[in-house]
Amino acid sequence: MAIINQATKELQVKIVYYGPAMGGKTTNLVQVHDHVQTAAGNKGKLVSLATSSDRTLFFDFLPIEAMTIKGFKTKFQLYTVPGQVIYNTTRQLVLRGVDGIVFVADSQYEKMPENVESFQNLIDNLNALKINLAEVPYVLQYNKRDLPNVAPVEYMEFLLNNRDVQVPSFGGTAHKCEGVFESLNMITRMLLQKFINQSVPQYA
Amino acid sequence: MATLPQLIEEDVRRLDDVLREFLVQADATVALVVDKGGFLIAHQGDASDLDVTSVGALASGAFMASQTIAGLVNEKNFNHIYQQGERASVFMRNVDEHCLLVVIFPSKTGVGVVKFYSTNAVNRVASQLQAARERDPAGGLDLSELNVADPQGFFRKKDAKQETI
Repeated sequence: MAIINQATKELQVKIVYYGPAMGGKTTNLVQVHDHVQTAAGNKGKLVSLATSSDRTLFFDFLPIEAMTIKGFKTKFQLYTVPGQVIYNTTRQLVLRGVDGIVFVADSQYEKMPENVESFQNLIDNLNALKINLAEVPYVLQYNKRDLPNVAPVEYMEFLLNNRDVQVPSFGGTAHKCEGVFESLNMITRMLLQKFINQSVPQYA
Repeated sequence: MATLPQLIEEDVRRLDDVLREFLVQADATVALVVDKGGFLIAHQGDASDLDVTSVGALASGAFMASQTIAGLVNEKNFNHIYQQGERASVFMRNVDEHCLLVVIFPSKTGVGVVKFYSTNAVNRVASQLQAARERDPAGGLDLSELNVADPQGFFRKKDAKQETI
């Protein structure tokens, strides 16, 4: 859960990019890192723990300082999880303390079973941490829309966004930075909205 | 799942005092209190050339990985990690369910002294966090003036002209 530090006037939140292997989670972070517009010095270094074949081994980590809300500096920590099925323990570790999730799905037809499996794995891992998916803000990003063999968005909505509450979803081409900022801004908006609803007015 | 309480000035001041005192006792360089989710809560010492945010995130990852190994070998008492280097060493120790203490110290300082004095520091950090938790278990931040429906992005892309350079 987010950390609020009244002394240093900081709000720290954690956003995790989740999804099947080779779906573009790390690419999302790289694009944010490369293209985000910040005042000098408050964009963190992208830390990547990857294998030699560019697969995330533990997590990627990107700290960014965003806008100031009522005098509070908001520090965002963006994490990715390893997509490969065998790294499930690691995924659970990274989900600890999560405030918002961007689920990056691979739009190619043949990846649909992996998308569904990964989403179910997300629900299971949250349950293991005693978190209910319905309580965590999340958005869906249907990545790789530029490939020829992609499934229609409606079909992906049916597969992945078919719960009681439908969440925002975005088509994306992460390596061209399309959909990347849209997803990030939407999840930010949703999780700040959640804080507003939860928070009680503070004495000054 | 609220892991951490809202920290007020007094909490942070006390945490800083504990860490400062500990640094002097143990002759260490930097001490951090890190949430197990990867958030940096407090730090003291000379961290001018150190990316403490990344250290916090990586340390909590490493620590939690070791705790998971402990679970796999049915061991409940993996409460610290020690990495010895040529010049600098790192010592991490469990504080409570939610936090850990990370200490960076010159290798010429023995780990024994760090370990010894960390016991007291860890207890004091834990009791301060406990006090904060009891004070205001459901504390939040009043963001009521924030217009989240504002279509303007929180994060903005650099414009195309800048990007092509």
